[in-house]
Amino acid sequence: MFQVIGGRSVQAVRLLAPRSAVLVEAVRGRKSRNDPVAKSKEGRIKVPPPVDPVEMVVLKERYSEYELIMRALRLEFKEEVLRKKYEEETGSQAEERARQEKEEHRALMDWNDQENLQMLKARILRIQKEEEEAESKTVEAAIQREEELQEFIRQKEKEILQLQEEAKNFITLENLDQRIEEALDNPKNYNFAIDKEGSVVKRTVLQ
Amino acid sequence: MPMKGRYPIRRTLEYLQKGDIIFKNKVKIMTVNYNTHGELSEGARKFVFFNIPQIQYKNPWVQIMMFKNMTPSPFLKFYLDDGEQVLVDVEGKDYKRISQHVKKILGKSEEVLQAEAQAKMQASNPANFGPKKYCLRECICEVEGQVPCPSTTPLPKEMTGKYRAKMAESQE
Repeated sequence: MFQVIGGRSVQAVRLLAPRSAVLVEAVRGRKSRNDPVAKSKEGRIKVPPPVDPVEMVVLKERYSEYELIMRALRLEFKEEVLRKKYEEETGSQAEERARQEKEEHRALMDWNDQENLQMLKARILRIQKEEEEAESKTVEAAIQREEELQEFIRQKEKEILQLQEEAKNFITLENLDQRIEEALDNPKNYNFAIDKEGSVVKRTVLQ
Repeated sequence: MPMKGRYPIRRTLEYLQKGDIIFKNKVKIMTVNYNTHGELSEGARKFVFFNIPQIQYKNPWVQIMMFKNMTPSPFLKFYLDDGEQVLVDVEGKDYKRISQHVKKILGKSEEVLQAEAQAKMQASNPANFGPKKYCLRECICEVEGQVPCPSTTPLPKEMTGKYRAKMAESQE
């Protein structure tokens, strides 16, 4: 029944100084279906406003002409919009534009393909170079390993020879007695001092 | 609020609006295949890192997908309206060169962009008053410095129609 108002109409209604906390105003269609008629409107018969026939005729004519013109204008404008849209999509210029765009697109795609081919060539070259490098590296590594192996063998051979040389001076069971005799015959004196250069400085006298 | 990410400038509106690759209407999907390691993918990685946000900002209706470490060499692939697929090899290329390349083959050219901007300006005349959907303002009362809307503040007496009518009547 009552509508709570806010916003623009608030200020105007505030001037009417309402006592209630919430601002309310009357709205059309206040009464519901089953409410009785107001006392002041009991015998009221609703009468439509009187119509002047002459005025009616004149107005009808004028209104019909006016509506005709307005309707025609509206349809004209609608048709113009539709025609423009049609021209835009399936007109002669649109076809040309589409063709030109296709041409440009094809040209660009060709250019792109060229770029891709160049990249492909560069990539093939690069891969070949890498393969060659890898191959040469493996070959080098094999050679290196071979050399190391040879070096190792040589080292071992040298050691064997050295050992053979030393073996001549070993003390065995046969010349044990002889060596003992020799050692007893030549006493060695280890009591000596050396200076920083390594030459002997002092020796004690052997008893 | 702290800055997020390694280069938070990529998240600023200014940076995004500076993107200059606007795709033609027939480009629907863009796919980037690249590797996370390797010298040859460096350009592609930088492209994804710096330029993809700009592209997506300017082309919100293009689907962009990134695939990592699926192929030995990086490439871009565009899927067009009519089923055509455009392949762009980007192995070893610099990211600036990649974006220039993409702009050249599938981006809208300068004249087209300007023509579109012109058409948009013509369609929306700021001098028109009407529904908010089509025009800037609905009534002159919305403009600063003009007479305010009588629904908010009542007009002075001299401006109301009924006062003027009364004066005109009383004068005759």
